[in-house]
Amino acid sequence: MINANLKSSYAADERVLNNRYKQAFVYGSILALVLFTLFGNDYLILIASQMGILLIAVVGINILTGYTGLVSLGHGAFVAIGAYAVTIFGNLGAGVIPAGLMPFVSVPLAVALAAAVGVLVGLPSLRVKGLYLAVATLAANFIVIFLIEEDLFAPWTGGMVGINTNVPNLLGWELDTKREMFGLIAVVGLVSLLAAQNLIRTRVGRAFIAIRDRDYSAEILGISLLRYKLMSFALSAAYCGLAGALFAYFYARILPEQFELALSLNLVAALIIGGMGRTMGPVFGVIIVVMVPELIKVLFGALAGDSAGAGQLRAPLQQIAFGVLLVLFLLKESLGINQIVDRILRAANRWPFARG
Amino acid sequence: MGQFVQFAINGLMAGAIYALIAVGIVSVYKATKVVNFAHGYLIMFGAYFYFTFAVIVPGQPWAPGWLASWQPGWMVEMRGDLPMFSPVAAVLDWVANLPRILLGLAGALVCNAILGRVIERVLMRPLMGQSIFAMIMVTVGLISILSGAAQLIWTADAASVPYIAPNMPIRFELFGTMIFLFGTDLVNMVVALLLFGGIVAFVKFTKGGIAIRATAEDQSTAYSMGISVPKVFSRAWVLASTTGAIAGAILATRNGISPSLGLFGFSVLAIVLMGGLDSYVGVLIAAMVVGVLEAMTQWQMGGGWAEIVPYVTVLVVLIWRPHGLMGQKEVERI
Repeated sequence: MINANLKSSYAADERVLNNRYKQAFVYGSILALVLFTLFGNDYLILIASQMGILLIAVVGINILTGYTGLVSLGHGAFVAIGAYAVTIFGNLGAGVIPAGLMPFVSVPLAVALAAAVGVLVGLPSLRVKGLYLAVATLAANFIVIFLIEEDLFAPWTGGMVGINTNVPNLLGWELDTKREMFGLIAVVGLVSLLAAQNLIRTRVGRAFIAIRDRDYSAEILGISLLRYKLMSFALSAAYCGLAGALFAYFYARILPEQFELALSLNLVAALIIGGMGRTMGPVFGVIIVVMVPELIKVLFGALAGDSAGAGQLRAPLQQIAFGVLLVLFLLKESLGINQIVDRILRAANRWPFARG
Repeated sequence: MGQFVQFAINGLMAGAIYALIAVGIVSVYKATKVVNFAHGYLIMFGAYFYFTFAVIVPGQPWAPGWLASWQPGWMVEMRGDLPMFSPVAAVLDWVANLPRILLGLAGALVCNAILGRVIERVLMRPLMGQSIFAMIMVTVGLISILSGAAQLIWTADAASVPYIAPNMPIRFELFGTMIFLFGTDLVNMVVALLLFGGIVAFVKFTKGGIAIRATAEDQSTAYSMGISVPKVFSRAWVLASTTGAIAGAILATRNGISPSLGLFGFSVLAIVLMGGLDSYVGVLIAAMVVGVLEAMTQWQMGGGWAEIVPYVTVLVVLIWRPHGLMGQKEVERI
């Protein structure tokens, strides 16, 4: 825990990791991730990959909801766009672009497409706020999933039954095991987390925060609401598109129903549980949102075995646990786990003196 | 032309049910300023309660025989000399089912009222005065809890329930085409519209309704005028959940019972925003318009496209009129 920062030069003031604790934390996590990628067991790698993919999307939502204060219940749609776009571009360009370069073309294209649709969906945000925006984005989610399922586009999207995805090939290196994919996800996840943290220190990030705190006041201060609200939508959609692209690379097949409302709600819930408008919030939130259903699965397996009846009970229980978690955090700790962690760190720092 | 009328009537009948669902969302919003994202799942619970009391309970070995199927002597006599498919037979079928239909409706109303009250007490009241975002997200969390609980209690398979009105076919000719309706759909529409009108009248003319409107206008002033705001809150939630129970029973007879009934809540939410959150008239218009548009889309483009009609229309309306057709514009102070 830090009590004061002594900065003796502008260079020191501009650093992202502006104190030793942050440096130690980031370098330590990098080391831990490398070791985990090399030696972690297969089951844990699978769970961690799910977390990593979700994390990137939640970081995107954090920019929109946590920093800009715009509610979206439709970001699952952007994950879908990223996942489908990367697969469809991959299939279309299969003969044209060499396989080793494909991800370098298709992923940016997919991210750009997601961002473009994000701007489109964000347009109502200029006229409506809060609840109306939540419903507008919800509507957009339904429409996007419907279009993906529609027979008209089925030759490209595969319709209701989904589509097989490609194996990513980075300059001849085929990432065909989950472990290799986790390596990629970890790198992209870490970079996107740091990029989001950096964004908040810039002019753009400060404009976002001003809009969140009071949009009319921000406008009076000379911040163009049109520009920054749409930029926030585009950025968060781009993050979700990136998560979608990794999602498509990670799984052998994608289905439209994976990106329905449940995913959008999951993303927002992870953000609320973790802590909105905080860098580490998405990390904590994603860990909880992925771990709790998994723990219930493990506990259930230990208690009831693998019978069909137990399976029928498990899914609803996971759903209920998810809802209860979300409601409990909103009622009791609306600033999320990040706040709890802060409190613990503060107490540890002051020990043996009074907590506060 | 005849076909157009057929689909328009179908649309109006669907619209009336949308309006009945929407009235729950509007009432809760008017009184508490909370938009209930989980209203569709309250309706699903209403449908499941109706199923429990109209199908499961009469089917139990301890239930009296007349509950499952009421066959008094005069009915058996009447039925004996009836031709096949006569309307009288449909009415008789309905009368035979009447005990369990009434039990189902009563059970659904009571259980849903309790459910609505519990939700208000446990989840909503602690959030009084909190940000709108927190309240919306609590109802979003409620979606998971309710849909999980329903699957846990009733398991996920779909089942059929008795119609709440005699289901005789009605046929007549218009513009040279046969128009074909079901009696139960017509009765559903009338019930939905009567309930809608009744609730609007309640809010407009009774003491309790005026208390709701006063709370909507300004909570603290209402408090200081001697209105018990928490009571108004719970009254609004009970109102919403009981109308939801009726809507759920109707939807259960139309679409069968399954956890996907909850999804109706989202399209109705779109309708409510389209009409304007605090305007009953606007919502009624929006519900009818969406119902008819859906039926027309179904006619021209196939059933799949009808699904997204409410969502597309709400986006168009929101860009054109951000506060809905007849909603009040909120004045914001900086």
